[in-house]
Amino acid sequence: MEISDENFRVWAEQNEVYFDGVFRLAGPDAYAPIYSLISGLLHGGHKQVTFNLTGLEFLNSSGINLLAKLTIEARKMDDLLLVVKGTHQYPWQAKSLPNLKKLHPLLDLRLA
Amino acid sequence: MDVRSPKTPAGIGFRAKFILVVGGAVLFDLLVSGGLALWNVQRLSRDATLEVGQGLEAASQEYIRTYADSTAAQVSLLLRQVHSDVSTLAGVLQAQIDDPARNSDVGAAIARTSPPSVSLSYDQQGKWSQNAPGSLSVVSVWGYLLGQDQKPRPDVENDIRTSAVLDLVAPSLLRHGASKLQMYYIGSKERPIFRTAPYTDQAQTFDRLYPGHNEANFWDFFFPGLYESWQGWAKDMKTRPVADDITQTAPYTDAITGKLIVSFFHPLWTVDRKDVAGTAGADITLDQLAQTVENVKVAQSGFGFLAMSDGNVVAINSTGEKTLGLRAASGASGTGVTGLERSLKGSSQPAIAKLALDREQGIQHLLLQQDGNEIPYIVIVKKLPATNLWSSGPVRQEAMSLGVVVPEREIDASLYAAQAKISDATNRIVLYQILAILMSLLIVTIAVFAASKRITSGISALAGAAKRIQAKDYSVRVAIRSKDEVGEAGEAFNRMAEEISYHTENLEQLVEERTAQIEDAKEEISTLNAQLQRENRRLGTELAVAERMQLMVLPLDQELEEFQALEIAAYMRPAEEVGGDYYDVLKNGGRLKIGIGDVTGHGLESGVLMLMVQSVARALQEAGNTDAVEFLTNLNSALFKNIVRTKIDKHLTLAFLDYDGKEMILSGQHEEVVVVRANGEVERIDTMDLGIPIGLEADISAFIKTREIAFEKGDFILLHTDGVTEAENDAGELFGMERLCREAVRLKDLSAEKIVAEIVATLMHFIGSQKIYDDITLLAVRHR
Repeated sequence: MEISDENFRVWAEQNEVYFDGVFRLAGPDAYAPIYSLISGLLHGGHKQVTFNLTGLEFLNSSGINLLAKLTIEARKMDDLLLVVKGTHQYPWQAKSLPNLKKLHPLLDLRLA
Repeated sequence: MDVRSPKTPAGIGFRAKFILVVGGAVLFDLLVSGGLALWNVQRLSRDATLEVGQGLEAASQEYIRTYADSTAAQVSLLLRQVHSDVSTLAGVLQAQIDDPARNSDVGAAIARTSPPSVSLSYDQQGKWSQNAPGSLSVVSVWGYLLGQDQKPRPDVENDIRTSAVLDLVAPSLLRHGASKLQMYYIGSKERPIFRTAPYTDQAQTFDRLYPGHNEANFWDFFFPGLYESWQGWAKDMKTRPVADDITQTAPYTDAITGKLIVSFFHPLWTVDRKDVAGTAGADITLDQLAQTVENVKVAQSGFGFLAMSDGNVVAINSTGEKTLGLRAASGASGTGVTGLERSLKGSSQPAIAKLALDREQGIQHLLLQQDGNEIPYIVIVKKLPATNLWSSGPVRQEAMSLGVVVPEREIDASLYAAQAKISDATNRIVLYQILAILMSLLIVTIAVFAASKRITSGISALAGAAKRIQAKDYSVRVAIRSKDEVGEAGEAFNRMAEEISYHTENLEQLVEERTAQIEDAKEEISTLNAQLQRENRRLGTELAVAERMQLMVLPLDQELEEFQALEIAAYMRPAEEVGGDYYDVLKNGGRLKIGIGDVTGHGLESGVLMLMVQSVARALQEAGNTDAVEFLTNLNSALFKNIVRTKIDKHLTLAFLDYDGKEMILSGQHEEVVVVRANGEVERIDTMDLGIPIGLEADISAFIKTREIAFEKGDFILLHTDGVTEAENDAGELFGMERLCREAVRLKDLSAEKIVAEIVATLMHFIGSQKIYDDITLLAVRHR
């Protein structure tokens, strides 16, 4: 499944979800379909789910809220390993992603 | 749109093209076939003329040749008949000679029955003896054959008696067979009596014409050399020039009748055949030969001629004589017979003079002078069978030639006539052919016009109808009766016109219906619009209330100005009516708490959350909560519970600066804090380790840290929300921390208010016409 517009694209391949482009969606309601997509993946019975953010150029604060909520969702599932792949190429990632680690200490944050 | 008049279609019409194409094709076909026919007719005519010409010429020549042959045959026949008669007479006479006793008896018998035949009387004047008229024949006995008593010698007397047998034979021979002038017997050289039938004044005529004949021997006088030739033959029959006893003379004037004659002699032999015993003879007038020859009539003026081998013409008619340019010359005098000299050799026509007659000739084409013109003639010469001829001197072989002369013009007349007929026929055929072509053209033209009218009338009708449709006359219908594609097109057109007509006529009704529908829709839209306006108004009012509430809680300018040690300036601009940014300056006694935060998103909910933060922070401040960690923990706790209750799915970053006049304490997680020293150094303080977003967790005490910031006179601190650093220009570039720091350093000596104003101006210039995505908040705190 894939959600996209002219600026961004989100799609899942097995247990890995990819974010690509610039996300400036207006608020939680606008992000709801993406939340449903990834939440479904988290509850899909995988042992590990990976958020691949290496193609995510920009994410506004509502988007960061989305990631935080998904992280908290994952934290509630004891047997699920959440891996977040990020990049130093985009400054916001180094600034915001460590918060996810704070919310979910078992989260595997990989900033390359 | 086509504005041409329908009456004057531009260019060539379909019908004209049709006529051009079909007419052209037919014309071409007609001209080609007609031309071929004419050419063939001309060629046929030419070939026919040639064929007919050759055929006619061949036929004409064959005809002339045949004519010549036939004429030659006639002449030969005539001669053969004379020969036959002479031979018969000779046979009788020879038989008498061969049987002297019977001869004597026959003579005695005739003397008894017909005394005038043998009773002669002496003529004193002529000195010859001759029987009296009344006998069937005349017998002349020349003076030198008479005795002293003027009576014939006894041997002569015997001959007179025996020769009387002529009376028995000659008359009947004269009456029958070929026409002969006279038949006669001449005795031997010793007794050359002359008995001739019928009776004439023979000796008298001789005396008149040939004086002195009575003194000389008959043979030597009249026919010198002839008798001697015969005597030669008697010795050796092989010496005859032609294997025939009969000897012909050249033409001469008959002494008795005065006519031109030819004599035919058959010598009689002695019983022992060793010598000549006289001769049997017959004369024919040249007229008889000439008649046969002169009867030759080929075409209009063709004629024949008979010539001796020496070229002497013995028979020809006067026209022929004139045409051939012959000149008669009198015979040599002093001889017994007067010959005729009319030779081709003496002809005034050079071509005739050259004409060789001594050998068989085929057809010759000659040009003869006639009235000063050269007229072409065809001459054919046919050699007759050879005969023994005496002319004077010894007997020699002679072959006469028969010539036929015809003007080519007359021979060719039939050819010309045939050619003229063919030419006439050709011209007639050509004329008929041309007439037929013209008639065909006329018929085809009429047919093409008629057919084109029939064929194109449908198309014309369609075109006309289409033009009327174009002129918006939808009532038009075409009537095409033909059962072809044009007819189908006409039917389709009529159906189409009908539909157009139907739709056009129903258009008004349709328009009315549509108008009514539109009216209804318009009303509906109007109602909706009113509803929308009401809703908008209501929402607008709501937003206006929220905006006002948000702005109401911001610190007043005079609040910011009342701190002696610090100079504080702030700028906030929401991306929409209601923003999600938060800043506040709370004073409680000597303590000052400066807060900055950013609620996710913007709009009413963000604004409400921001109001909550402001209220809770104020309450905690008023409650005397001086511990920064506890302050944030409690604030988060209160907010978290409210977020759960209100189901506001938002959180916020939030940081505070606590200043007690000496120390500046930073707590909470928000954007980097920029500190610019009086000497221009810049310090960027990361707040990631100082907290966690507010509203995500119920208890965040574990994550909150504090950090002291050195803050001396001349230093200033710059707080901002990500609306500043993440503002985009037209190129999609971000304003960024570096640019913000450079601006801060550039403006380090200015007042806090100026610093904020300048940075905002730079930022707005940077954004340009690009959309402002996020709320922008900027706060400068300067140490006085």
